Amino acid sequence: MTSMCKATTRVLPGAAVIELAGEVDGSAAAVLNAAYEGVVTANADPADLGTVVLDFAAVDYINSTGIALIVSVLARARAERRKVVASGLSAHYREIFDITRLSDFIELFPDLDRAVSQVRTALTELKGGTR
Amino acid sequence: MTQVARPAPERLDAFTVPSQPGNERLALARVAGTVQGRGLSDARLERLKTAVAEATMNAIEHGNGNRSEIPVEVEVTLSGADLTVAISDQGGQTHPGDDAPEEPDLLKKLDGDQSPRGWGLFLIRNMVDAMDITTDGQRHTIWLTMRTTGAAHDEHV
Repeated sequence: MTSMCKATTRVLPGAAVIELAGEVDGSAAAVLNAAYEGVVTANADPADLGTVVLDFAAVDYINSTGIALIVSVLARARAERRKVVASGLSAHYREIFDITRLSDFIELFPDLDRAVSQVRTALTELKGGTR
Repeated sequence: MTQVARPAPERLDAFTVPSQPGNERLALARVAGTVQGRGLSDARLERLKTAVAEATMNAIEHGNGNRSEIPVEVEVTLSGADLTVAISDQGGQTHPGDDAPEEPDLLKKLDGDQSPRGWGLFLIRNMVDAMDITTDGQRHTIWLTMRTTGAAHDEHV
């Protein structure tokens, strides 16, 4: 009945996207850390990746150990001056992000499209573009 | 003075799970099935599921030391409007944080001044209407109570 955590990564202009699936618990540590490491270091210029998007749309379970993993990713991203945003959380896990105050540090979006759209808009504004 | 008689608790279910990491999912699924249709909204059922999973994880890991031969006992009772899940292990006083739990502080965790872990009891306390912990010799029990009526203050989720 359990499903191991899986991660799919991709790099967009200005952002690294980590799409998680399955369960975010203690067994997800290696997957999540490797996904973060891989998507950040694979980029030609890691400094360009100002935002890391964590998508939870296909995640069905997060426990306290999973929350600790997310805290660790957030701590690393902050140390590297990257912003972390999250998408696709259920109402219950949005509440947990509020209770733990993760949502004070991680902007929440209903879905990945809206998170990516916001990243693109912010990047365009940063570069002074009007497209 | 008139005393109002409280109904005797009705046992809805009692079962055990072996103390193996991951078995908290078995406990939460069975409790969810047991309390289905007992007057908890979907949001409050999700809260109870999270609390049961965290308490069972603690029992497996801290109480029974991941020794699969020692079962975690789970009992679900209904007393009036109070739905209670009791989760017991044989850890006695060994549970970290039972007496004076350090409140998780996210900023401290992000700054490395506090371990990223330590969210279990905090989550449990925030998920249920009442939480109690008792120890009787080696038997350590956490009691999780949800009111099935009159608890509309947090139905916004």
